[in-house]
Amino acid sequence: MAVSDGRTQSAATAETLIALRDVAVEYGVGAGRHRVLSGIELEVARGSFVSIIGPSGCGKSTLLRVLAGLVAPSAGTVAIAGLSPADAVKRRLIGLVFQDANLLPWKSALDNAAFLLEVSDRRLKRAETRARALEILKLVGLERAAGRRPSQLSGGMRQRVSIARALALDPEILLMDEPFGALDAITREEMSYFLLDLWQRTRKTVVFVTHSIDEAVFLSSRVHVMGVGPARILDTIDVPLAYPRTEACFEDPAFARTEARLRALLLEGHGKGSEP
Amino acid sequence: MSEAAPRDARDTMGARLRTRAASALPAAGLAVLVLVLWEAAIRLFHVSPFIVPAPSAIAVALVDKFPLLMAAAAVTAQEVVFGFVLSALVGAALALLIVRFRLFGRALYPLIVLFQTVPKVALAPIFILWFGFNLAPKIVLIVVIAFFPVTLDMLAGLESVEPSLIALMRSVGASEHDVLVRVQIPHALPHLMSGLKIAITFSVIGAIIGEFAGASAGLGYMIEFASTQLETALVFAALVVVSVVGVGFFYAIEATERLIVPWAPKFDPLNRRD
Repeated sequence: MAVSDGRTQSAATAETLIALRDVAVEYGVGAGRHRVLSGIELEVARGSFVSIIGPSGCGKSTLLRVLAGLVAPSAGTVAIAGLSPADAVKRRLIGLVFQDANLLPWKSALDNAAFLLEVSDRRLKRAETRARALEILKLVGLERAAGRRPSQLSGGMRQRVSIARALALDPEILLMDEPFGALDAITREEMSYFLLDLWQRTRKTVVFVTHSIDEAVFLSSRVHVMGVGPARILDTIDVPLAYPRTEACFEDPAFARTEARLRALLLEGHGKGSEP
Repeated sequence: MSEAAPRDARDTMGARLRTRAASALPAAGLAVLVLVLWEAAIRLFHVSPFIVPAPSAIAVALVDKFPLLMAAAAVTAQEVVFGFVLSALVGAALALLIVRFRLFGRALYPLIVLFQTVPKVALAPIFILWFGFNLAPKIVLIVVIAFFPVTLDMLAGLESVEPSLIALMRSVGASEHDVLVRVQIPHALPHLMSGLKIAITFSVIGAIIGEFAGASAGLGYMIEFASTQLETALVFAALVVVSVVGVGFFYAIEATERLIVPWAPKFDPLNRRD
């Protein structure tokens, strides 16, 4: 396919940070054993923003959990900066953000942002973790809400605190599992701009799981489309839109084309999956 | 980006008091109505004061026997406090043991549930036999009655932490102990508080049962004694004092709850905002 954007091209030649080869995941034992993922091939370039999109039950969250070292693959190899996911996690290369912000309701935004850092390294003094957390809260634009409890924050603010909590570890990679899935449409869009801006300032590698087609197109330079039965990657599509992306992107014919292509792929994959 | 946090404007002290007073009005009105009807029925049908005393007779007994009732209330309150505190400690400790030591928990939990099916009233005479007539058997009886809701609610709190939050902690190398202390226990506190509210009412019941079974002082003893003397008005007066003691303890726990877990959503059945 035609790749018009300079960044996508450079991403294609950039260093590969995440590499999955023929990864499969099986759950259960004996006759109840079933494959949730099979034959997954995936490469993510350092500093890129990729999305994984697919219908519910296609194993996209499982794939993210494999990358996070929370699920061990039953076959294939996973390399993150040349390390196993478990080692990558130990070296704090990975930050995780889930759909639910999962903040601790008894802690302030600041202490929530500092929480994982505090847990990960006992040698750090409280003042150090808090200073670091405040720095990150500034980065996500929440320094003025530092003292507020989660119940006093809006849904979008809560999710930003949870992103700050992941960033406090200064990971190379942000793994995000439908992070805006529980937010209303307007907040969702605001959060998209916020995340792109954050990505460009921090230069993290982002792997973003979503079931929203336009979210995937708007945010990422590359979209991996997953299908069911068996769960696998159907296709990988480069998004021919330059960064920084603005509202004008939605008007770009390339946006509509990419969206249409993704929709066709998803429908096709879905149809195959629902056959008996 | 403008995201205003939802500020609670209702949370001023004066407004809250006014709402509380307003919400108490229907209950007070109904209570007065019942008392008036009761008084009227007794006078109209000439019911014997040995069977059912009129509210006015109960009020007279309350005033006449006030020092006696207060002395009895002090004895019962002491039993309730000791029994309740011990129930809370035993109940919470059991829940922590069950969660922290899985195998032990699997062995213990069914036995605890089994023990709950034993009618505790039947145990009261045995505790008197074992521990004598004083404070000890009442405290033991209260603990066996009141620890269970504490254990159950604390367990529910410890086990209801979002799994992805635990995954997040494990992903940065947190131990099981870290998860328990930093997340599970604080998360369980609001649940523990609701368990304690049930436990305090059970504790009052336990103290009265304990005194029925064998005592020489306390409100339960007084009820028992007055009923054998056919002083029915005094029985009712003692019941009024029991209720006041129970309600007082209940609201003391609720006040403590707001201090300990201010972040927890308020459960207020009288002012539901849905």
